[in-house]
Amino acid sequence: MMLKLGVFELTDCGGCALNILFLYEKLFDLLEFYEIKEFHMASSIKEHDTLDVAIVTGTVSTQRDLNLLHYARNHSNYLIALGTCATHGDVQASVEGKIREKLEKVYGTRANPMKALDSTPIVQHVAVDYALPGCPYDKDEIYQVLMNLAKGVEPPTKDYPVCVECKLNEYECVLVKRGIPCLGPITLGGCNAVCIKSQLGCIGCRGPLPKEANPASEFEILKELGYDEEYIRRKFKTFARGELRW
Amino acid sequence: MSIEIEAFTRVEGNGGAEIIIENGEVKDVKVKIFEGPRFFELLTLGRHYWDVPDLEARICAICYLSHSVASVLAIERAFGAEVPEEIMLLRELGLLGEVLESHALHLYLLVAPDLFGYADAIRMASKHGEVVKEGLTIKAFGNYLREVIGGREIHGINVKPGGFGRYPTVEELERMERQSEALLKFARRAVGIFAGQEYLGAKAEHYVAVNGYLYGNGLIADDGEHFDYFKCIEEKTLPYSFAKQSRYKGEVFMVGALPRVILKYEMLTPMARHLYEEYKEKLAQGYVSLNNLAQAIELVYALERTKEIARVLLDKGFEGENVPIEPKEGEGIGYVEAPRGVLVHHYRIDEKGNIAYSNIITPTAFNHAIMELSLYEEAKKRYGSSDEMTFLQKLEETVRAFDPCISCSVHVVRL
Ligand code: SF4
Ligand code: SF4
Repeated sequence: MMLKLGVFELTDCGGCALNILFLYEKLFDLLEFYEIKEFHMASSIKEHDTLDVAIVTGTVSTQRDLNLLHYARNHSNYLIALGTCATHGDVQASVEGKIREKLEKVYGTRANPMKALDSTPIVQHVAVDYALPGCPYDKDEIYQVLMNLAKGVEPPTKDYPVCVECKLNEYECVLVKRGIPCLGPITLGGCNAVCIKSQLGCIGCRGPLPKEANPASEFEILKELGYDEEYIRRKFKTFARGELRW
Repeated sequence: MSIEIEAFTRVEGNGGAEIIIENGEVKDVKVKIFEGPRFFELLTLGRHYWDVPDLEARICAICYLSHSVASVLAIERAFGAEVPEEIMLLRELGLLGEVLESHALHLYLLVAPDLFGYADAIRMASKHGEVVKEGLTIKAFGNYLREVIGGREIHGINVKPGGFGRYPTVEELERMERQSEALLKFARRAVGIFAGQEYLGAKAEHYVAVNGYLYGNGLIADDGEHFDYFKCIEEKTLPYSFAKQSRYKGEVFMVGALPRVILKYEMLTPMARHLYEEYKEKLAQGYVSLNNLAQAIELVYALERTKEIARVLLDKGFEGENVPIEPKEGEGIGYVEAPRGVLVHHYRIDEKGNIAYSNIITPTAFNHAIMELSLYEEAKKRYGSSDEMTFLQKLEETVRAFDPCISCSVHVVRL
């Protein structure tokens, strides 16, 4: 039996939906188990049907997003929040101020004909069955998750920081050795420490590590390196405004 | 009465259209952008310049590297920093990768199903597997360039003011040279496929492009003008959309692959130029659907140019060292040709190196007016003479020809 899959894109950069297409041959492997019923970036097919799996990317930033999210939730058995927009709010949720003030600043008017809302992650609005962060997420991870589901296995979640992947790859620590501000210690791993491979600091795009992170000590380390508090505060909240841990 | 296109499919982002009919005739078309605003200008205000290119990259996944490079160019100009030629060549490699990735995605996965009569590339693959596969191979190579230069396929943070985090290795450059040569035959075949598409949409009254092929320091237009974006482009607000419309000297203009190959054919690489000559008269017809043919010619250009640059860098070698950047108060504009057309990042930076003003205009915003006009003309031509399915299908095909990137178009436009 083929599983019915829908991909729903709310307000975002398109990256998390696009990354599914970047699976190339592996996408065709997935299509042995899944039938795509909705994926507007890739297909003109739209079948209003009950879905086995719904993937939702992006933030709730308009009333339309919210309606679409409820539609996806009400029509699916298993819902995956995919990408940091969906799980933590990403960059757009870190823009400060109320929606009307923001509209006024950028558009010069408080009028809101498209019913824009303050950007929030989807996890704040509906129950999700699986959350996979990353801006964007590692595409092999979603492949594994979908394969697991096709075989009836509940996919595992990761719970270690980026630092672990740095050690495994034997990258030199940019924070300790070079004083580069790196959020690796308090960021959820799963990206294979790709930015540290480029000898750059982690900017925290996979969102905060859920347990055992110590943001306070990270804050102190960065202060000692000479970065001002406002700079650190902004860096911490860029991808995860809603998270109290940061 | 009006006909609604609830949501365009096989495009990036969320948008639709309303076709207004009065007395049995098409009266007006409104392109509606309902993607939520993301407030990128506010996001970067007050932030340290070093972090800004990585954040701006998130405007769009399909052309993240164009955003990083435009942002970096604006920052360097604001500080008066000059980078050596090899750094510009490496950036260009990244931009070429983006052209390959984006055009291949658009042509093979989004447009080709229209030409072959399928709802999507996945369904098309059962009968025309080799075409889809060729497209995916080009796309994967484009992504390889983005990964090496940009740090990741999507939203890499390797492109930095003054240079890069990590420089490519000799092996990586050799692979680029080899693979671009090997893929040329696929790209040439694409030109044949997309040359067969019918004429759709309107003709733009003007073409606008960046003065260099993929980056530059100003804009050019088909009337010979050389200018800064705010000098000749007027923007106007609309009561029904958050996206503004722009005019060039009061007239509707277009940016993208078609304007590029026509305005800058002298800069094309040998084989691309040859193909341009072959289809010159066709391209001169100016219908917006010819943008697809122009994109196919650019696939050839991007592969030839990648090969050329990789060879130059291999022969010359490079330092692999960044230019030191000293923040000071300043203002700078970065001009880049994103795959879909002119992209502008404009910043003012304070003496501490924090962003004090930012304005970003994306290709889809520049093309908003010509897109609406094209839908209007196509609708007028077809209303009443084709069945509803074909009518709507052709309107969607017309929109698709622009390769619109709706995510980009909204949050960056100022009313
Ligand atoms: S999480 Fe990042 S890559 Fe994914 S849609 Fe949001 S901004 Fe784009
Ligand atoms: S290193 Fe950090 S910023 Fe880079 S991809 Fe991983 S989580 Fe994201």
